[in-house]
Amino acid sequence: MNSNFARALVGVAAIVIAAVLLVVLKDDGGGGTEATTKGVPTIVVQNGKPVGGIRQLAYEKGDQIRFKVESDVSDEVHVHGYDVMKDVKAGGSVSFDFPATIEGVFEAELEDRGEQIVELTVNP
Amino acid sequence: MSLPSFLPLAHALVARKDLPIPIWLFAWGASIVLIVSFFALSASWREPRFEDERWRPLGGGLWRALTGRVAQAICGLIGVFLLALSVYAGLHGTEAPDRNFALTFIFVTVWLGFPVFSVLFGDVFRPFNPWRAIGRLTGAAFAAVAGQRPVHLSYPERLGRWPAAAGLVAFVWLEVVYGANGGVAVGLSPHPAAVAALVYSAYTLAMMALFGTERWCQTGETFSVYFGMFSQLGSFGVRDGRLGLRRPFSATTSWASVPGSAAVVIASIATTSFDGAQEGALKGAIRSSFDWFADRGLALTTSLRLADTIFLAVCLAGVALVYLAGVRGMASVPGAPSRARLRVAFAHTLIPIAFAYLLAHYFSLFVFQEQAQFTYLLSDPLGTATTDLFGTASGGIDFQVLSANAIWYVQVGALVIGHVLGLVLAHDRATSLWGDYRQAARSQYWMLAVMVAFTCFGLYLLSVANG
Repeated sequence: MNSNFARALVGVAAIVIAAVLLVVLKDDGGGGTEATTKGVPTIVVQNGKPVGGIRQLAYEKGDQIRFKVESDVSDEVHVHGYDVMKDVKAGGSVSFDFPATIEGVFEAELEDRGEQIVELTVNP
Repeated sequence: MSLPSFLPLAHALVARKDLPIPIWLFAWGASIVLIVSFFALSASWREPRFEDERWRPLGGGLWRALTGRVAQAICGLIGVFLLALSVYAGLHGTEAPDRNFALTFIFVTVWLGFPVFSVLFGDVFRPFNPWRAIGRLTGAAFAAVAGQRPVHLSYPERLGRWPAAAGLVAFVWLEVVYGANGGVAVGLSPHPAAVAALVYSAYTLAMMALFGTERWCQTGETFSVYFGMFSQLGSFGVRDGRLGLRRPFSATTSWASVPGSAAVVIASIATTSFDGAQEGALKGAIRSSFDWFADRGLALTTSLRLADTIFLAVCLAGVALVYLAGVRGMASVPGAPSRARLRVAFAHTLIPIAFAYLLAHYFSLFVFQEQAQFTYLLSDPLGTATTDLFGTASGGIDFQVLSANAIWYVQVGALVIGHVLGLVLAHDRATSLWGDYRQAARSQYWMLAVMVAFTCFGLYLLSVANG
């Protein structure tokens, strides 16, 4: 009786933990990434920083990754992992267009400033 | 791939982060953990099976040669050479972390590699330990010149493995807090890493001079203790200088009897948790504390380090509290030994969990970064694009060798297997501590809760989005 009670207690505790975690996760899963289907996303860089913070871009493997950076400072935009690098002039813009071949989470940054402007997520 | 001509300072060691495990896999992982746990409760055994190592020596000459003087000397030389190379590269090489041999070698190849090598092949760090090699050589030279063996202080028994636990926390603090740089895997720059290696070397050699080389390696030297802990899981063990085979996992049962051992394994789980949570589960909390400090006029770097230090401490306290709560629960079962004895008696059951955490969090990093280690970092250790020793300086990392799915399965698989092994060791220990089988089983509801908590927390850390 006592042992059954303890067994039930552990069971209930474990299920509660799992349920709580699932709920916590569901909340997390939804937000964060914005739809990237409509048009080519443009990241505007002002004073060397991305307007509106680090832009989240999400793709599926096999998609074409397209985005544009408009910058008021001259720098090099470096997409890590994919190792794609392009220079941008002050007041100019630069466009990226390459296939999503590697799964994972990657940074794109203004290389000379070390300022991250994009977080790129490629899902399987 | 060509070498970029300009390498900035704020460049992460790792160019890619793992995707969080998807919700369905998290649910499956957690369910399997719960089902396995309940199965473990019903299908339990009544006699301890792992308390005896059943060690038997390996007979052949080749096996003997592996632990012989010549092999020890060669391994020691290699260890000293690699330490010297790391320090040299750190001091004189590029400050770009991903292009400098020192950082990947210390923080990935050694720090993440040796736990795996130790489980597979036994305590392999011991022969390669550069400080042990230097200490032994100095001792031998002293004996030859002075005509007597050096005299040492006796190591305070109560100190046990505490210096190693402190060293472990300090090492990870250096890596993920001091070097914190927007939360990248190793934000530390090569130069401070080399300086830290020199400071640690001086400290270690001083301690060896005080207490004796082998004595300090047994319980004081961070890396010996940390890697040695994982080697207890494996089948290869050395006794009286002879290599032998033992029952897997059985050596862990006697490991924790030295004071401070529980602290080492708790520190291992907590520091891995913090590293995993820094960019995920704890990101928001760290950010708020950082803002709080920054608003009060502290420098940005100081604020970030303070915030990170606080949450590293929170992780340490959290993991310790979960374990101590389990111990408290077990102590309430009739026939239980004292809490102090229980704390020691079950510490080893967390070693498989600590190893599972390491695998889950760093498996992909290791696979990717080792490609760098054996291509451009080997040919161009200073990262100055001036040498190409082995013709591999233009190599790169192929991120496609592991798919996201493969990484997820390894992560969840490691946690589930570590969970099962932890349960097995805990149950085994309970059967030897409690004469009465029923009470032993009752005590294990508590350890089961501890294990479920650690495993589900591990799964949770993996499933939280980086953003």
